[in-house]
Amino acid sequence: MNEFMNVLQRPDFIENLRLHIEYTVLATLLGIAVAIPVAILVNRSDWGSTVAINVGNIGRAVPSLAVLVLMFPLLGLGFDSALFALTLLAIPPILINGVVGLRQVSPQILDSAKGMGLSGRQILQGIQVPIAAPIIFAGIRTSAVQVVASATLATFIGGGALGDYIVEGFQRNSTAIALAGAFAVAALAIITEVGFGFLERAFTPKGLRIAQKRQRAGK
Amino acid sequence: MKNKTMLIRAVTALLVTALLAVTAACGGGAGGGAGGDSGGPKVSVGSKKFTEQILLGEMYAQAFEDEGYDVTRKLNLGSEQVMDKSLQDGTIDVYPEYTGTAYVAILKKPPESYPKTAKETYEQVAEFYKNRKDTPMQMLEPAHFNNSYGISMLTKEANKLGIETLEDLAAKSDQLVFSSYSEFQNRSDGYPNMKENYPKLDFKEIKIVNDLGIRFKALAEGEADVGIGYTTDGQLASPELKVIEDTKTIWPIYEPAPVVTQELLDKNGDAKKILNEVSASLNADKMRALNGAVDLEQEDYEDVARQHLEDEGIIN
Repeated sequence: MNEFMNVLQRPDFIENLRLHIEYTVLATLLGIAVAIPVAILVNRSDWGSTVAINVGNIGRAVPSLAVLVLMFPLLGLGFDSALFALTLLAIPPILINGVVGLRQVSPQILDSAKGMGLSGRQILQGIQVPIAAPIIFAGIRTSAVQVVASATLATFIGGGALGDYIVEGFQRNSTAIALAGAFAVAALAIITEVGFGFLERAFTPKGLRIAQKRQRAGK
Repeated sequence: MKNKTMLIRAVTALLVTALLAVTAACGGGAGGGAGGDSGGPKVSVGSKKFTEQILLGEMYAQAFEDEGYDVTRKLNLGSEQVMDKSLQDGTIDVYPEYTGTAYVAILKKPPESYPKTAKETYEQVAEFYKNRKDTPMQMLEPAHFNNSYGISMLTKEANKLGIETLEDLAAKSDQLVFSSYSEFQNRSDGYPNMKENYPKLDFKEIKIVNDLGIRFKALAEGEADVGIGYTTDGQLASPELKVIEDTKTIWPIYEPAPVVTQELLDKNGDAKKILNEVSASLNADKMRALNGAVDLEQEDYEDVARQHLEDEGIIN
């Protein structure tokens, strides 16, 4: 217990915690910046959507550690390599959910929007995106939690963050040190999960929320 | 619809079967090894779980097998505490231990008090094992190479800066980037100890890279100037890397020697000779090459160990 507290009080702990949060926020934002435009671009085309979803799925299967090691000769040690690998990791869930979310908007709704004379852009902004928002947010949430967990790998390539303590604990055979790192990561993951849960609700359009409530009450 | 349900069931059944098969294979596979029942004297060989230890354990095992022993391999066990306990409760009869590690971890002596020569370290540790009350055991002849912390640089750069010893390194350290790992930076005999003995040490930057392979790669790519590993790491066999000499002996001397129960020695007159022969066949260069064959060339432990023992004429 004593050693556990000692680790939390090390001057580098706050620095590594901050770095861990920075990785999570930046990688998730970059992931959104890449995945959402692609999802919007391909959602009207069956072929494009299939390709996007499959590329996303393949991307999920690539081990993050492999990406880290591959990036090393190009981006060198430290922050850049780690951020790049984490961004790659963040893209697939957002991309897949984005494409699926935009495409699951029912054709009747789209038809009636067209009938009302809305332009493609208006349909996307006013109808598709709001209806897809909860699904897209679920994707972002999955990404963010995954990045929180995977940012521990940055330690292998000189990127710092909370993985330092998990590895140190393992190397020194000290459960206390490893737990200090692991608890911090777990806490971050839970905060991320819960925080995005709230955001997801906030971004669900009012109409959809009422519909969901009715559906639940009806069953 | 019905087809889909069938498909789901079939896939689930397949997955469950596969999972069971994998579990069964793992359960049965651990601690296995060749060691057919030859009817000879029985010996159980252990080792810790890193390359050099597994290689040493494998060499002991093969040397015993060559003399007609019936060998059980328990390579890949755990820390020195686990190994020591396994010796005491009879799980294993012999395992390789480093003199310096035994001095600190088994004799529980304060790290500052370690003897400055390999011979004296060995004598103190061997004395302790011999007089042990609970389970009598012996530490036999050590192999004469020191597997200590190895601070290394690219040979080219070290020569350019005229760095031979840690003293030289400390003097030039303000212009160098050091790639280290968490454990070394934080344990008292690691970086703090280095800084205390070489007070001029003050690196321009310290990058924590917790992967040995990437640390050496970082040196090669010029991402760092100074790296740390162990003196018998396979990578150090390359002439492109130079180990910086620790002239002040700031770390205990870690020579590997077989620790064996008295019971095994009493039962088998030739056991001592077999183990000592393996130790005598090794030196730092050879150990680096052997470690490198496993870590860098991805060769099998058994093959690498057998090749060495054959080359040295210990088995045929």
